[in-house]
Amino acid sequence: MAEEAVFDFIHMEAVSYVFQGGEKVSEDEAVSKLEHMGFATGYRLVERLTRESGRYKDELDIMKYICKDLWVTVYKKQIDNLRTNHQGVYVLHDNRFRLLTHMANGKQYLQYAPRYLAFTCGLVRGCLANLGVTCVVTAEVTHLPACKFQIQVQRG
Amino acid sequence: MRANDPKKVSGELFTLTYGSLVAQLLKDYENVDDVNRQLERMGYNIGMRLIEDFLARANPGRCYDLRDTADKIQQAFKLYLGVSPSIGSWSPGGDEFSVVMETNPMAEFVELPEHCLGLRYSNILTGVIRGACEMVQLEVMAWFIADQLKGDNMTEIRVKFVKRLEDAIPAGED
Amino acid sequence: MTKDEEAKLMYGMIFSMKSFVTKVSPVDLREGYMSYATNKYCLNLYETPSKLKFVLNTDTHAQGIKELLHQLYTQVYVEYVVFNPLCPLNKPIESELFATKLDEVVKQSPAYASRPA
Repeated sequence: MAEEAVFDFIHMEAVSYVFQGGEKVSEDEAVSKLEHMGFATGYRLVERLTRESGRYKDELDIMKYICKDLWVTVYKKQIDNLRTNHQGVYVLHDNRFRLLTHMANGKQYLQYAPRYLAFTCGLVRGCLANLGVTCVVTAEVTHLPACKFQIQVQRG
Repeated sequence: MRANDPKKVSGELFTLTYGSLVAQLLKDYENVDDVNRQLERMGYNIGMRLIEDFLARANPGRCYDLRDTADKIQQAFKLYLGVSPSIGSWSPGGDEFSVVMETNPMAEFVELPEHCLGLRYSNILTGVIRGACEMVQLEVMAWFIADQLKGDNMTEIRVKFVKRLEDAIPAGED
Repeated sequence: MTKDEEAKLMYGMIFSMKSFVTKVSPVDLREGYMSYATNKYCLNLYETPSKLKFVLNTDTHAQGIKELLHQLYTQVYVEYVVFNPLCPLNKPIESELFATKLDEVVKQSPAYASRPA
């Protein structure tokens, strides 16, 4: 079955939909819609993937789950590198992020790349929210198709 | 309790993503008719790209009549959505048929709230069919005539042949 | 001649050739592949059912061009244009990655390696 193609195309249309007004559209507003769709998707997806959230022993364990199981389910590979400052900041490096691999190898389209990461930022935030971790997720690209996601845990 | 099979969940990813997209459209438009139209347009755009993937991946060959086309639509539903719809209810003239699904993977986990009864939730599929057919020079119309979300016991899309499209004539010749 | 003019000429030529061949050929053309050779070069055309046309001019000895063009469609065009949301389908392809991959596949083909020195 070719379900990953279906996801790719729906995601592509979601991005083009939020930007369809052309220059009149505010980048922030469009990106926040994508983030929101990602959040709703991630929140529900994690319920399908794991029925109990209590089995993770700590926050780092949850992050490892995101880097392995979740990433494989959604992006067909694991995160290449996970770093943390042990104070609630986690940085996930993906050297070949699936939604960018068809686009470029280098800096072409760099200015548009963030549009294709916003949904994923939301997805990660949604998954984590459902697992009891409140956070802010941002993404950065300097050389396609590599990118990194930074998760900043918000403590009560 | 065991976690769900990750392979199955990965098929659910597009279902959930689609659900979030529809929810966003409902938020953005006041009128459900506009949502239906927007979904169809998105499907049309997807169909234009998806047909190339389908031709490359499945190498289905050319269509010589509408029955061929119907078979290929059936094949594509299986490949992309993992369901095998039945094809039937041909019109006497052979220019119209139905694609019938017993379960609709786009609408899994969905219940329509009261105020959304006019919503054609899976309308993206009609757009995909129209867009994909247009790229292989077939102009068709496609629309829902039954939907499990609205209490029907199956989901049925009607497809009608409109006309064959021809190659553009080179500039300066006619 | 600009690329644009060349493309227009090529389209016109292929259009005429196709309609000519369809009229005179005793068999139905189902394959989507066509070629003609002069004593100098060979023009190869692969057309997908979606009417995308892949044209490659080669020397007259080149082999396996039909397979090569099919490969360019399935492994290069579909991967790097169809799945690249930033490549509109109705505009000239600007993706550098597409060009790189195209080049790679062509250079790997036996027809490329066997060109006369």
